Amino acid sequence: MKRLLSALFRSALVLSGFLFIFNLPLILGIGVDSVEIHFDQFWEVVKNNLQFLFQIKDDMYLSLFKQLDITGSYQYTMSILLISLTGIILIAMVTMVLIMIAPEKIRIYLKNGVNFFEAVPDLLIIFLFQFFVISLYKATGFKFLRLYGVFGVKPYFIPIITVSFLPLFLLLQFLIQVITEEQNQLYVLYVKAKGIGRLRTLLIHMIRNILPLIVLQLRTVIWVLLSNIYLVEHMFNINGFTKQFVIIIYQGGDFASLVACLLMLSLPLLVIEAAGWLVSKRIKGTEAVSL
Amino acid sequence: MRKYRKTIIGSSLLLLLLVMSILYPYYGPKDFNHQVLVKDDQGTVIGRAPFPPSENHLLGTNRNGEDIHWLLLYGAQFTLITAFGVAVLRVLLGGIFGIILSLWAPFLKSYFKDFFLTFRYIPSILLGIILMLPIVGNFSDAPVSMIVTYQIMILVFIGFPSVTLFASDVTDELIKTSFVQSSFLMGAGRLHIVRKHLRPYIGSYGILFTVQQIISTLHITMQLGLFGMFLGGRNRAGVFGYDSPEKPASLSNEWAGLIGQNFSEIIRAPWAILSPVIGYFVVIVIINFIKKELEENLDGFQVVKKKQKQKKGARAEARSTARRGLFEFVQKL
Repeated sequence: MKRLLSALFRSALVLSGFLFIFNLPLILGIGVDSVEIHFDQFWEVVKNNLQFLFQIKDDMYLSLFKQLDITGSYQYTMSILLISLTGIILIAMVTMVLIMIAPEKIRIYLKNGVNFFEAVPDLLIIFLFQFFVISLYKATGFKFLRLYGVFGVKPYFIPIITVSFLPLFLLLQFLIQVITEEQNQLYVLYVKAKGIGRLRTLLIHMIRNILPLIVLQLRTVIWVLLSNIYLVEHMFNINGFTKQFVIIIYQGGDFASLVACLLMLSLPLLVIEAAGWLVSKRIKGTEAVSL
Repeated sequence: MRKYRKTIIGSSLLLLLLVMSILYPYYGPKDFNHQVLVKDDQGTVIGRAPFPPSENHLLGTNRNGEDIHWLLLYGAQFTLITAFGVAVLRVLLGGIFGIILSLWAPFLKSYFKDFFLTFRYIPSILLGIILMLPIVGNFSDAPVSMIVTYQIMILVFIGFPSVTLFASDVTDELIKTSFVQSSFLMGAGRLHIVRKHLRPYIGSYGILFTVQQIISTLHITMQLGLFGMFLGGRNRAGVFGYDSPEKPASLSNEWAGLIGQNFSEIIRAPWAILSPVIGYFVVIVIINFIKKELEENLDGFQVVKKKQKQKKGARAEARSTARRGLFEFVQKL
């Protein structure tokens, strides 16, 4: 009973936080020479929004949402997300192994190179890719790569590359850091003393041990990917899910549509968080046993 | 032991840029060498803005025929001051609130997290757009100072929850240390703890947080610029050559605005957009160097602890705290 009450209270809190954040512009009106604060107006709109959210029987409910091409664009955006994510994980793993078995001197340079990308803004990468594709087209006259999503075309290749460029380095940096820490573990020393090669230790023992940490880190990767996808779809004018989202915002769509869109957008994050939760629970469970 | 070489060099570079930008009216051309059409001796038009980079125009010109390098120099002050100001405000408000949250009202922390749960799931760029749209989304007749105040409030608000939670986490970790615990046992008040035990940490963590927040503010202003949410609002005069609908231009010529107003020109005038983006990149790289150095200095405390922790079985947990840059003292006896 107590847990139920606290769960109810917490979800009410989440909802009110959501309403507060999204109606914040209404509190802060701009006057002639001061920023004005109107609470009454804010309260009215919040009440309206709440009512709207629960009027499921109304015909107008989610009307804009139903008009838009939600399923198609959502599929597109999510497939970009998934392809990029799998690509990132695979490439980051392979590169990490390559860097770790490289000779000491080269490894330091490579690590510094990877760390350098931490500071690169995502917009720079997107613009450079755009610039590159355009100059390629100008130089050759052929359209190898589709950039813009005009006339309902949904390009895959360039958006995926552009979107996953920076997260790849993010994950790679994390992997290198974790595996370097893992090398200090006693079992690594033991395995080395037994005469097992470096590659075998790395591939079979260490990677298996850092897998849970990777799952936990994937949330950040997905987060960066999502915001990058948002930027790329806006800049390349692709008719993806975020485009529908922008339409809803700019056309002043109803509150319920906004909520539905945001929920759909944060679905991947929720999934990965659930996975992370399971993994950490398993770790704790095994550790309780081993102790 | 601690070195601040990169920090000193980096911040003096940024300061130099800022001073040059503020002093711009005293030495730079007032109209940024405004020149749309180039005519030869007979008066026939031989060229039209945007011009590519050349000897006369170091970084080229934009569609309005203004020199990009002068615009960048002039606009730097707004970008830098906003980033710095927003970061300081975020850290001040968030830090104070976080410490209060941990020391005086720890039961509120989970509620605070719930209330701002939205920030965990929605990228800040989306929030920024939604929150700024009513004010900056269109040409507005409101005074510029008010628009800027509003924008700064929103920018501070976007970063506030994460800073608060982070500060609160750090405080929680510090409270667990033996010196604070023993101080509590001997009857110290909370204010005493803050004044005597936490203050040395507040300084170093505060600076580190500020530097991190400067980077994140730079990122978000840049992205908002792309969506036309310029700092200081939109300029009705607009971009030359677009009559209806008018294309908004940045009023202050800050860098994000330059990106936003030139972003559709990437095919005709890539220099007009790549220059401000690269400008951002350089600033972010400098600040990142500073951040790295500060973090390394903070890590000085941490080295001893890592060795000690590895004895214990709680590996995953130990790591996650180590990565967050938290530390505990060795003298735990």
